[in-house]
Amino acid sequence: MTLLITAVSLIGGFIIALPVALVRIHRVPVLRQLASAYVTVIRGTPMLMHLFLIYYGLPILIDALARKFGFDFTAASIPIVYFVFIAFSLTAGAYMSEVIRSGIQAVDRGQVEAAYSVGMTPIQTFRRIILPQALAVSLLNLSSEVIGMLHGTTLAFTVSITEINARANIIASTNWKFFEAYIAAALMFWGLTVIIERVTARIERKINTFNRGGVA
Amino acid sequence: MIRVRNITKKFGKQEVLKGIDLSVEQGEVVVILGPSGSGKTTLLRCLNFLEKPDSGEVEISGYQVDCKRPGKQDIQTLRRKTAMVFQHYNLFKHKTVLENVMEGLVIVQGFGKVEAREKSVQVLEKVGLGDKLDMYPSQLSGGQQQRVGIARALALEPEVILFDEPTSALDPELVGEVLSVIRRIAAEGITMIVVTHEMGFARDVSSHVVFMDGGVVVEEGKPNEIFRSPKEERTRQFLSRITPELTYDI
Amino acid sequence: MDNTFDIAYVFDFIPKLLAYVQITLLIVAGSVGFGLIVGFLWALPRMYNVPVLKHLAALCVSFFRGTPVLILLFLIYYGVPEILKLVSIDVTRVPVLAFVILTYALNSGAYICEIIRGAVAAVDRGQMEAAYSVGMTKVQAFRRILLPQALAVSVPNFANKVLANLKETSLAYTLGTMDISGKAQTLGSTTMHFFETYIALSLIYFVIAMILEQLFLLAERRLHRHENHYRARTSFKLFRSIRQTGKEGEGLFNSTRSLS
Repeated sequence: MTLLITAVSLIGGFIIALPVALVRIHRVPVLRQLASAYVTVIRGTPMLMHLFLIYYGLPILIDALARKFGFDFTAASIPIVYFVFIAFSLTAGAYMSEVIRSGIQAVDRGQVEAAYSVGMTPIQTFRRIILPQALAVSLLNLSSEVIGMLHGTTLAFTVSITEINARANIIASTNWKFFEAYIAAALMFWGLTVIIERVTARIERKINTFNRGGVA
Repeated sequence: MIRVRNITKKFGKQEVLKGIDLSVEQGEVVVILGPSGSGKTTLLRCLNFLEKPDSGEVEISGYQVDCKRPGKQDIQTLRRKTAMVFQHYNLFKHKTVLENVMEGLVIVQGFGKVEAREKSVQVLEKVGLGDKLDMYPSQLSGGQQQRVGIARALALEPEVILFDEPTSALDPELVGEVLSVIRRIAAEGITMIVVTHEMGFARDVSSHVVFMDGGVVVEEGKPNEIFRSPKEERTRQFLSRITPELTYDI
Repeated sequence: MDNTFDIAYVFDFIPKLLAYVQITLLIVAGSVGFGLIVGFLWALPRMYNVPVLKHLAALCVSFFRGTPVLILLFLIYYGVPEILKLVSIDVTRVPVLAFVILTYALNSGAYICEIIRGAVAAVDRGQMEAAYSVGMTKVQAFRRILLPQALAVSVPNFANKVLANLKETSLAYTLGTMDISGKAQTLGSTTMHFFETYIALSLIYFVIAMILEQLFLLAERRLHRHENHYRARTSFKLFRSIRQTGKEGEGLFNSTRSLS
């Protein structure tokens, strides 16, 4: 369940992040301010808040809409998980858009100019020149975000989703049992984190064989 | 005054210094020449223990240090007798020009702030930077930065000043100003050991030339001898590649 | 259930929450303060290559960075008393706040350790060589040359961590801490207007974060005054993207691992 939440949030986040990042890079007039505001607000407030705001706020909105348009379901019938998915996707989206944006901007402008001078279209340039280099540069930050979201899933416990954390709580009965259960949870998260870190390091090494001397 | 006996140094499997002997008398200007990888910079850095030699002895004005087991105090003492001018200047980035020169005086030699200031200003004026006292290194050109580096070394009044390719990182137009400062210092009789590629400078200013290649001293002697009539084949090769015009006797 | 959203509640809640803001700030200050000490201690064996200690330190750092804060909170709160009981130290009277600060301090310490190592590595080795060649001892060189420069380099990362810390304190309520988050919980459950409480709470966090961000920007500029053309990040309000020299991305609240 933990992994599911992490995965969905990251994918959802990415879907949100890509347009947000692009809008900011290309400075689309109105959208850009909105995008910046979104990113700043999300990153300036705790993730827990995002969760709670969606969890408590969205139902209000949905119920109001339902009353207006005569849908015959209430927010109460929506499984809690979906709120978690939405909230965490919003969170991930803001942070990831920063990673994407800085990754793309870190690519030396000269590379782009070279691509154009060779005759590539903007889309080709993006796919073949910018994207690979941006990925290489932002790998570390991406991995930080993934780990961040992984850790963030523990917050779902506060709205009582069953994931590793909650299981730990449920399993425990005495103080000592609490401790064991939490150690188990801690080790599990730690383990996952270390795995992600190692994998990232390996990917980084592979990519950097093409990167002698740095990208930008 | 400075004697170096049988210095060896390995970096991993690579033998960089294979037993170097050197002596430098007071007031001499010794220039060390050689292709890259010859070990000349390493040798220089061994003198103030920025590189620790694997074996041998370093002696500066009577103070001897066995390189196999140098004490912390030994290294400190050696460093206080020497001063180094670096290829990349290595000025303290977060301090002004004046502070850079004063730093060693105040912290290491225990001067009072007022005295140190006076001395530093004097030295800075000598190298032509009397009007740049309160600027930061990032605001200066390479040549100016290097002159501050020289001032910093001078102010300490060491027994010998070590120059590690002082002009190699400079734009060609700036090389001249630094070289002229070094020439002036040499003329004052300060003992100097200079690693450089500037042949003209080496020929004019040095009193003794050492040619190194592959971790050994190939040949040494007076500048005229070395440049006009090198005895060893390797020396000849090196010189002809670097300064073609010197193969002509004028 | 009365679910009608009433914005008046938000304005009503803000002062009520602010009454507890000093607890939140205390947690942040305490955890960052102790975190600096802990982080420095953990960084030392690795910087100076001390044989066994450096691996132990690395392990600690990895653990406290690799475990989510929420779990750490429970772990320490339940675990430490149990462990101390084994050596007959009774900590049942110790206030929850102490455990909370301890947990955040360990977590921050781990991140700070990495920040310290990164900053020290970022200082040009030539600076230290120059210091040694002038005759300084290791300690002198460290204090006068390395430290000031490392400090300047570390500010952005440090600022990130402090801000992340601020946001993470929102979890302390799970142990019953009465900081702004804790107060929000009680306000919410008594009035049943959760949404409004959390809006108020979010506003407060946001403002505190912005203030801290500006302070760090000032500090950053001051520490870099020796550099030519140094561009620190600017506030988002200017909508201008001025890049930091050598760092990617600008904008408020640069990302770190912890998002909560």
